[in-house]
This record gives sequence, C-alpha cells and structure tokens, in this order.
Amino acid sequence: MQNSKFLLLAGLAGLLASCQTKDPEPTPYESGILILNEGNFSQNNGTISYLARTSTAAKYDIFNQVNTRSLKGGVSGYTEVDGKGLILVDNSTAGLDQVEIVDASTFKSIATLKTPDIENPRQVIRVAANKAYVSCWDVSGDFSAGTFYKEPGYIAVVDLGSNKVTKKIPGIRANEWMVLVGNEVFLGSRYNGDKLMAVIDVTKDEVTQKLTVGTNPRPFAVDANSRLWISSGSEMIRMNTQTKTIEARIPAGSDATKTPSAVGISPDKRTIYFVRSYYDANYNSKGEVYSFGISDAAISTTKPIVNRYFSNLNVDPQTGNLYGTAVPSFGQAGYVLRYQATGALIDSVKAEISPAGVYFK
Amino acid sequence: MVAGLCLGWVGISYSALAQGGQEPVSLSVVTVRGYAAERFLAGQKVQPLDSTTLAQFRYQSLTDLLALNTPLLFKNYGPGQLATVSFRGTSASHTAVLWNGVNINQPMAGLTDFSTIPVAGFDQLSVQYGSAASVVGSDAVGGSILLKTMPDFTKSGLSVFAGHQQGSFRNHQSQGGARYTGRLGSQWQVAGKTVVYGNQLNNRYPYPERKYYYLEPTEARQRGLLQDLYFRNRQGRQVSVNAWLTDNDLVQAPADTIGRERTRTQNYRLMGTYEASHTTVRAGWFRDVLDYAKGDFSRPSHSLMDRLMTRVEHERLLLPGLSLRAGAEASHYRTQVDGYGGQVVQENRADLYALTRYQGRRWLVSANLRQGFATGYRAPFTPSIGGEYQLIRQAAWQLTAKGSVGRSYRMPTLNERYWLNLGNPALKPEQGVNAEAGLAARTTTAKAWQLTAELTTYRNRVKDWTYWNPTRNYRVENLQEVLARGVEWNGSATYTQGRWQTGMRAGYAYTRSTQERVYDVYAQDVVGKQLVYVPLHTGNLSAFVKRGPTRLTIQTLLNTKQYITFDNIQALPAYTLTNVLLNTHWQWGAVMAQMQGQINNVFDVLYLNVRRNAMPGRNYALSLFLTVNTNKNAKL
Repeated sequence: MQNSKFLLLAGLAGLLASCQTKDPEPTPYESGILILNEGNFSQNNGTISYLARTSTAAKYDIFNQVNTRSLKGGVSGYTEVDGKGLILVDNSTAGLDQVEIVDASTFKSIATLKTPDIENPRQVIRVAANKAYVSCWDVSGDFSAGTFYKEPGYIAVVDLGSNKVTKKIPGIRANEWMVLVGNEVFLGSRYNGDKLMAVIDVTKDEVTQKLTVGTNPRPFAVDANSRLWISSGSEMIRMNTQTKTIEARIPAGSDATKTPSAVGISPDKRTIYFVRSYYDANYNSKGEVYSFGISDAAISTTKPIVNRYFSNLNVDPQTGNLYGTAVPSFGQAGYVLRYQATGALIDSVKAEISPAGVYFK
Repeated sequence: MVAGLCLGWVGISYSALAQGGQEPVSLSVVTVRGYAAERFLAGQKVQPLDSTTLAQFRYQSLTDLLALNTPLLFKNYGPGQLATVSFRGTSASHTAVLWNGVNINQPMAGLTDFSTIPVAGFDQLSVQYGSAASVVGSDAVGGSILLKTMPDFTKSGLSVFAGHQQGSFRNHQSQGGARYTGRLGSQWQVAGKTVVYGNQLNNRYPYPERKYYYLEPTEARQRGLLQDLYFRNRQGRQVSVNAWLTDNDLVQAPADTIGRERTRTQNYRLMGTYEASHTTVRAGWFRDVLDYAKGDFSRPSHSLMDRLMTRVEHERLLLPGLSLRAGAEASHYRTQVDGYGGQVVQENRADLYALTRYQGRRWLVSANLRQGFATGYRAPFTPSIGGEYQLIRQAAWQLTAKGSVGRSYRMPTLNERYWLNLGNPALKPEQGVNAEAGLAARTTTAKAWQLTAELTTYRNRVKDWTYWNPTRNYRVENLQEVLARGVEWNGSATYTQGRWQTGMRAGYAYTRSTQERVYDVYAQDVVGKQLVYVPLHTGNLSAFVKRGPTRLTIQTLLNTKQYITFDNIQALPAYTLTNVLLNTHWQWGAVMAQMQGQINNVFDVLYLNVRRNAMPGRNYALSLFLTVNTNKNAKL
C-alpha cells in the first residue's frame, strides 16, 4: 500500500517534470493548403480548414481546434508575414470585426486587432519585414441608399513586432485588392463608380498617386515581364508599374455581360487563368475557366480549359495546379476541386461553409 | 401536463364562475364561452401555463416564458431582438400564434417574432402540441400558442395596478392599468381591462465581450396598449371588443451612425365579437407595419400589411354528449411592401370547417374537417380524428390514453408568393400528416402529494416544404420534405404541509427532424441530417419551495448542441441556463404589493445567439407590482 502510494507520487513527479522539459512545439500547419471558408454572413461562421497537399480530406476549423474558440465572423482574407498568420474576420454586426494574429505554423492565437482599427477588412498582404497592409472598407452604410461604401476606405498598417495597427492610410472608396511591386502597393477597388486605383509608397505609408483605370479595378499579379495585371469589368489590363501607364486593354471574350470574376497566374508568371462568369435565366451562377499568355494580343474564349463555374480560382505556386471553389449554398459544405494546369480533374475535397479562396504555404 | 384539460375548457370556466361569483349572471348551459378551439382536439396534448408562472414572467417576453417552461425552441438573436420558434422540429412559420382564437402570425413572413409579445399582453396561455390544421387552420403544423384575454365577471369594482422592474444593463420595464367590472342597468354587466406597458432595454453591458465572444450593442424599446371590454346580459349574450397596439423599436449598433440598423414593428390588433347562445360572430382588423433602415433612419424601407377578417361559428348539441361546431372564416389581405416592388398586393383567403366532439363516460372523441382556400389556389383538405380513453379511473388517480391523426397545411406566406424576382406566385401550400399517441396520468384527490405525468410520441411528415433555394440565388421553391418525430415527457409534483409547499415541474423532449428529399446533387450532403437550430434533446426544470406568501423558484433549461448548417458540420454548443427567483407579497387593506428578485444566468454560462455572438452573463432584476383593489370580492 505504502509502496503503491510512493510509486504513484513518483509517477506524478515524473509527469510534472516531463511537463517542464520543453518538447519542441509541433508545427502541424507548417506547409500545405489553407482553405478560407467565408461562412454565411449572418451566421458569423467563417472557418479555416487545413489540407495537406497529398491529402484528400481537410481538417476542419483549425483555429477553433487550437484555441478552443471560433472565429467571430466571416473569413475575408488571410496571409502570412514572417511566421505570423493574419486572419481577417468580418462580423455581421457593425463594430465587431477583427484581425486574428496567429502563429502561422501552430495556429495559436497571438493577438487580436479590433474596432476602430479594423472595420470591414477585405485583404491583407505583406509589404515589408513584420509589416502588413489590411485594406478596409470602413463602416458600410445602406446599400439601397447608395451609401454602402464609405468614401474613402483605408489601409490599416499592422506592425507585427508590436501586433498593433500603427496607422490608417486613407485610401479610395471600397479599396480592396492590393499587389506589392517594389516599394509600391497598387490598390484596387470593389466600387464601380470611381474607376480609380491608388498607389501607396510603403516606406512612407502614404498614397502617392491615384490612377483612373476602369470599372472595379482588381490588380492581381505581376508577370514575368514585371507588368501588373488588372481585371476590370470585362477587360484584362496590363500596366507598366514604372510609368503607371496602361499598355493593353484586352477584352476577355466578346460578350461584355460575362466578366472575369476570379483570376490567377501560373508559377512561371506567363499564363493567366480566369473564371468568366454570368447569371443564367434561372439566376444560377454560370461560367467557365479560360487561360491566356501574358504576351497574347487577344483572349480566346472559344474553348474553356475547365467547363465549370467556380466562385474563386487559385493557382498553386509550387505545382501549378488549379484550385477551384464550389459553393452549393451558404448552409452546407462547399468543395475545392483540384485540376492540373491542363484542366484535367485531380480530385475534389469537401471544405466548410462557402470556401472563398485558398492560401498556399 | 393536466390530463383532464381536454375534457372541457368550458367545464373549468364554469366552475370558476360558480366558485368565485358574487352575483353570477345565470347562463344557459349550452353557451360556449371563450375561444376553446382545443376542446375539439381530443387526443392531443395541451399545456396551460399557470397564473403563478405568468406573474413571474410578467416583465419578460413570450420567448423567455416558453423557453423555460415548454420544449419549444427559439432562434434567438439577442435580448430584445428577433426570436423565432421551432415547435416539434418544424420551422418558424409552422407554429400558429392565436390571440383570442385568431392567428396573428405576421403575414409577410408567416411567423411571429416572440420578442415582441410581452407576457403582460394576455391573461391566459396554453401550448397546444402537434398539428391542428382542422381546428386552427394554416400554420398549425408543429403546434399552436393560444393567447387569451379573459373577462372577470366574478368580481365587481375596480382594481388598479402599476409595476416596475429594474434590471442589469440599465434595462427597465413598467406597466400599469386597471380591471373593472360593473353593471349597466338591470340586464347588462360590463367587465374590462386597460393596460399600458413600456420596456426599455438599453443593454449597456459592462463588458464588450465574454470569453472572446462579442456582445452585440443593441437598444430596444417596446410599448403597448391593451383594451378589453366585455358586455353581457342575463340572456347570455355577450359583446366584446379587444384591442392590442404594440410598438417595438430595435436599434443595432446604435453608436455607429453609418452602420447602425433600425427595425421598427408596429402591430394594431382590433377585434369585435358577438356571442349568443349558439352562435359566435367575430370581425377583426389587423395591421402590421415594418420599417427597416440602416445608417440614415429618416427613409426606412416600409412594409404595411392590413388584414380584415370575419368568422361565423355555430355550435349545437346533436345528441347528449355529441356537439358539432361549424364555421366559416374569410380574410382579405392588402399589403404594400417595398420588397414586392411597391405594388399593392391583395389576397383573399377563406376557410370552411366542421368540428365534432363526443364526450362519453370514459371516452372523448373528436373528428374534424377543414377546407382552406386562397386567391389562386386551394389548400389541401385537412381532416383529423382523435380520441382519449380513461384506462384507469380510481378515486386517487386516473390514467388516460390518447391518440390522434390529422393532416395539416401551411399557406405560402406573402413574401413567398410576391417578393420581387425571388417569390413564386405559383408556390404550393405545404402539407403534412401528423400522428401522435400518449399517456397521461394524474392524482385526483386533494392529498398532500399532487402528481401529474404525460408521455407523448409523434411523427409528422411535411411535404412540399418551401425553401429559399441558395443554389438558385434564393428563389423560393417547394423543394424539401421534412420528417419530424420525437418523444415528449413532462411531469409535476407538489407536496403541501401546513404553510409549506414544495414542488417541481420537469419536461424533456427528444426531437429528430430531418430533410428527406434529394433534389439536386448537393442535397445528398443534407438528406437525413437534423434540421438547423433543432437540438436533439431539450429539457427544463422548475422547482420551488414556498412558505406562506414567499416563494423561491429555480428555473433551468438545457439544450444540446444545435446544428447551424444543413449538413450538420457546424453547431452551436450545448448549454444549460439557470435562473433563480424570489417572490413575496404583502397586503395592507386594499393594497397588495408583490415583489420579485431575480438572478438570470446564475452560473454565468456562455451561450451564443444565432449570429454566434455572446448572450449576456449573470444579471439581476428587481420588480415591484402594486394593486389597489376596491373589488367587493377581493382576494388573491
């Protein structure tokens, strides 16, 4: 009896000692694919699922698994900056949006950025060491009264040393998409009235120029020739980032009612992929995936490489595979379909609610 | 709950008259008082809530009352915000809410926001379980909530009351009014009630979040006026007028002048009733106004719905024990809703029905028929039959077996038919078949112990279940088929000794409700899955101990996890919520003071609303209710 008690105590001591010796932290999310599930806006149930490149089954809601609490809104964006992940979270109630900062390889929460620093966060990019830009629409008003997008939106400058927002740069209305070229960020907009883009100097955190480009300008990639590609309305625009001049406006097909709604570039930065989408008579979203070369004078839409609509399309920079997201409804799991660059289907992975994009690690 | 209730609402009201009446006006025996639709639902479960419970909840909304005392489930958006019901695994538009016998579901969405119905707005409440289309009409698929105002002819004189509740988060509620009964000449008696109430929920939480989950900043103001007048004469004729005006004003994120949202709903309910010995004639006007605005509140999106209705019913005793009630109802809807494109939309609906009820020595049987009509189409024919049999009838206790089967339907709502682009004028009514069986037992003698228990099982299949189809940009279609089945148990026990009394009431429900139809490739992920926001298990427990006028009550409710996606991959976690109440009262001559102290969410449990934001933690309320009674027969 005494012995057994002693043994028990000894075992307990050993257990405690083993707790103190620092095991190397497992880093389950070091590499692979993160699926950004937007969730259903009114239910604030956005999640991030993890998918190993070799796996066909996604691990659900990894933020909740690690931190035992869920994200508190829709997931509107994600990127990684020097070992930290920034998750943009959009709550349906005004004033409750945030950016969750996590350890990128363990997904453990590090800090949370909140209102009034963050309001309607849309996209996040790394702009320098330990520094990120988060484009925010700011508070949105009444859509039917035309006051939905506040004029102007802003860019929250996040310092990942202190995990704080250090500055809010006034941007343009509905500013959203950002591409870093050298020391300049090219900022696009979801608003179709202004046709504006802005250029931000990341060393000064100031807007240095505004450019009139076209409807809903969406900068998305820099190609092998260092040219910036912008999708705008039914056009693909090629811009010289030095002179800020537009070199080419290429119609994405002959029907202007069908517009590029998702865009990506191949790992060699020479092929651009896009989903060309429209609504059919029954209000169903329809579309196909096409591609063109960065030096092509025209875009052919006679033969899609995938004859299927995706809500978003991403290209894996490691493998060149295409990841298309399919959303049956905001009330049930969507799917991520993987294709080879040729358009041959590889597989289909069940994601969570409304997968809206993929982040490649 | 009370097994004998179906045996006759009429009987109960007569005995009340006989016991309490100082100068009761003699009534002819065949007069059917009240709006006792449930008399014709033999074999189905009806649960009346007692007046003590109603008094405890008098400053709260119907949501709190029903969630803590019945297996009804609520999709709750937060304090003072939208709360919709799920009854026996059905959706929010499958519960009929009847005010004095008339369905007051808002016709646009075909449902009731239970947060806008204060317990102060009615005198009696019963919950009727299961489909009751043959008796109630459209919407009674999962069950019905029966709200009633009751005149009190047993007293004469005036009683004036006023009360106030002060709660945490700078929330407060006030109400005041009077009840009066008197004579008009030698032939007529008049009884009436006037109540005004005002609730201000400021929801100033001292903490912006709980365990990383945000609380939603909201403010809600609710006001209302109730006016009931009943005139009756020695021949048993009665004329009555009931009016209920409500105004609910909800602002989300009030501090944010751009992102704030305001939802204002106003309801005007006015009804006149004439009752002679065999016949009841009723006419009503119901107006629902809904204004929604974001940011700038001066130009809201506006919806106005008017409904004019009339109903004629005639009841007759065909044979000893066998009664027949036949009726016809017609309604005219006129709506102007921004979402319908600004056009005036009009619709007519009508119902014909015949209800029979046979009361034997041990048997109670009812068989009912109803046919509903609406502009453009006809509702399914909905018959029902049910029965109860007293298996054991001893001096000390009795056991009753019950069973019923019936068809149900739900007319498409006006939104489903007329919403611009997304609505579908050709949408079919939903139709269901409900079958249930149960056993009810209770003690019948006035011993120290009083016990009741009831066990019910049901199966309810609803076809042509409408669905705002997300894969078709939310156009509405008759896509789904839902099978809801479950078991309900409830029981109560009280023990009295001298000035002490203790007791408990408990309820448990198992609800399995699934979508059964494959209508597209993705529906395979949804077939056989539990419906959203319907927990598999729910329970509630209310226990009290009482000495003289002082009563301590503990109320608990338990909900297991609620799926929030159709494929059941996400859920709100299970939670248990417990409140503690202490009541007492004093009497000084004509003045009665009732006091209540209340701790809500005693264990400070974190639970989430439908938007997955946090509900408030532990909070307190203290209330006082004063009554000045000049009644000649004044007793509590």
